[in-house]
Amino acid sequence: MISARGLRRSFSDGEGGALTVLDSADLEVAAGELVAVMGRSGSGKSTLLHILGGLDSQYQGDVNVAGVSLRGLSDTALSRFRNGTVGFVFQSFHLVPGLNALENVALPSFFGASGGDARAALERVGLSHKASRQPSQLSGGERQRVAIARALYARPKVLFCDEPTGNLDAATGAEIIALFESLNAEGLTVLAVTHEERVSRAAKRVLRLESGKLVPA
Amino acid sequence: MTFGALLRLVKLSVRRDVRGALSSVFGVSIGIAALVFFVALGLGIGRVVREKVFPLDAQLVEVVPSQITLGSILGGGKIDQDTFERLRALPGVTAAYRKMNVRVPAVSRYDGDFFGTRLHMGLEVLAVGVDPELVKNDVLMGDFKDPAEGQPVPAIVASRLVDIYNNSFAPNRGLPRLSASLAAGFQFPVEFNRSFVVATRPGPVTAATLQLVGASDRGILAGLTIPLDTAVRLNKASGVDFETFSGVTLQADGPSRVPELVAHVKEMGLKVDEQERRWAENAGAAVLLTTGALALLSLLICLLAAVNIAHALSASVRVRAKELGIMRAVGASKRDVRALIFAEAAVLGAVGGAVGAALAIAASYGLDALALSHLPQFPFKPDTFFFIPPWLPLAGVGLGVLASLAGAWWPSRDAAGIDPARTLAG
Ligand SMILES: Nc1ncnc2c1ncn2[C@@H]1O[C@H](COP(=O)(O)OP(=O)(O)OP(=O)(O)O)[C@@H](O)[C@H]1O
Ligand SMILES: [Mg+2]
Repeated sequence: MISARGLRRSFSDGEGGALTVLDSADLEVAAGELVAVMGRSGSGKSTLLHILGGLDSQYQGDVNVAGVSLRGLSDTALSRFRNGTVGFVFQSFHLVPGLNALENVALPSFFGASGGDARAALERVGLSHKASRQPSQLSGGERQRVAIARALYARPKVLFCDEPTGNLDAATGAEIIALFESLNAEGLTVLAVTHEERVSRAAKRVLRLESGKLVPA
Repeated sequence: MTFGALLRLVKLSVRRDVRGALSSVFGVSIGIAALVFFVALGLGIGRVVREKVFPLDAQLVEVVPSQITLGSILGGGKIDQDTFERLRALPGVTAAYRKMNVRVPAVSRYDGDFFGTRLHMGLEVLAVGVDPELVKNDVLMGDFKDPAEGQPVPAIVASRLVDIYNNSFAPNRGLPRLSASLAAGFQFPVEFNRSFVVATRPGPVTAATLQLVGASDRGILAGLTIPLDTAVRLNKASGVDFETFSGVTLQADGPSRVPELVAHVKEMGLKVDEQERRWAENAGAAVLLTTGALALLSLLICLLAAVNIAHALSASVRVRAKELGIMRAVGASKRDVRALIFAEAAVLGAVGGAVGAALAIAASYGLDALALSHLPQFPFKPDTFFFIPPWLPLAGVGLGVLASLAGAWWPSRDAAGIDPARTLAG
């Protein structure tokens, strides 16, 4: 489902030099897996996720996600990929203020995703009774559920999660992790990057990102 | 992105920053209001100049004899019946009208009732005879032709003369204002071949009664327009030239044929009287220049409005960087993001343009009302100083949109350039 070969990504360090974050990293994730990538802060976890999810195309190497080879795709094609093939969940939820929960879930439909069911997605995360709440009227855990419902809206093949429990307390975090497990049980491929043990414990496979390479933990 | 989705996102961002949106709309509306106002004023005054001050018929060509002696050597110069026939036969001429000055001086001595006022005055009179067809649409009573013995001679005055009389002459002298229909029927005595100021011919003095029968744009400005046959008869009686014409008015088959016609006339050794046309053009140019300058100033305001919108949108894009980033993450392309910013600008511009056009129209009505009630009567004072063709408000809205889109150029680039990976991490 996810296949990355020889990934290399470096940033300029602002002093004329280059900071290499990923250095020929390889990754293979089969369909239906729940994989966690661990690593200390600054090791490049988010960078890896952005490349796999089509948010960053300034890398070297080859990436294939759900049968889509990302190398050389146009901005429009990459956008369509993000819109329909994958879903993102972020640490700080990133809901759009001014849109209620239901509208936030349906956000992908503004950019082309069709056939999604925002109400069903909201139901799946157990929040159908708060569909018309504004993000500011929801708790952190509820916001993250709305964000997950949004990621599920277009029925993606892969869910990418970046520190999904980073802003949540223990109990709420556990509920979110349980949600990922049950989504995975339904067949969704989930790749979560985190430095939290509680996330990696739920994963069926754990990788470590060290010195720009992915190694089994 | 569909149009409906775009509209909903625009609505969302406008609703979230109503104050910012209002400020942008305000800027555009002031610029467009000024522009529409001044253009309407320019068009309005231009129309007054064209229709009231110099009511030129663009299809008419005034042919006059050439004073150059060379013309007479070539057989041209003067306009006799033969020349008239040739003029009438020129290509593109649909009608031709002769004019003959009464070639002796004339005076009118009036002592009697003048529309309820007692009038006692002596006046030098200029008279021109014309082919009746030229003024037939403006004759309000009787036949415009040389009358039988003892009958009054029909006479037409220039509409502009009536206007000047009504608005400057009459008020200063306590005389009543007159409309063409009110004045029609008024009779006064005229003695031809008589003058208070110049020597006259040895011939006899011909006394006649003239009767006003209407006012016409085609009447001569400084005098009376009478039937051609009357002028011929008077000239003959006074022993002066009654065979050549003072001028011929040619009606062209459309304004576009006029230049060609003028060329033909000049080839015949005759002149075209372009005095009125030149005055009209000069006045028109003056109006165009002034209102053009004001319109340019308004364009400058529109430019400032565009800069204002650019600032507002830039700030808004910076504030919304995360939000735009999340849109990118869920499938918005760079083009979608750019379209969104442009759409926001277009809506602000359209609203601003519409408000501005409405303001301008309201202001023009207000000013007209004020002018009507507060400005004194003056010659050619129009009912309205403005002319607002339907395209003008539409163009105002269009320009508002255009200015806003121009202002959105850089902010939309910035927005499209947002790196979602950077704004969303952490
Ligand atoms: N756009 C960028 N420009 C320059 N440097 C960057 C950029 N994005 C990331 N980096 C650097 O790349 C390195 C990896 O960043 P990344 O965000 O992938 O780390 P991370 O593992 O997700 O860390 P954390 O656990 O704190 O989220 C960091 O040193 C970061 O400063
Ligand atoms: Mg990170």
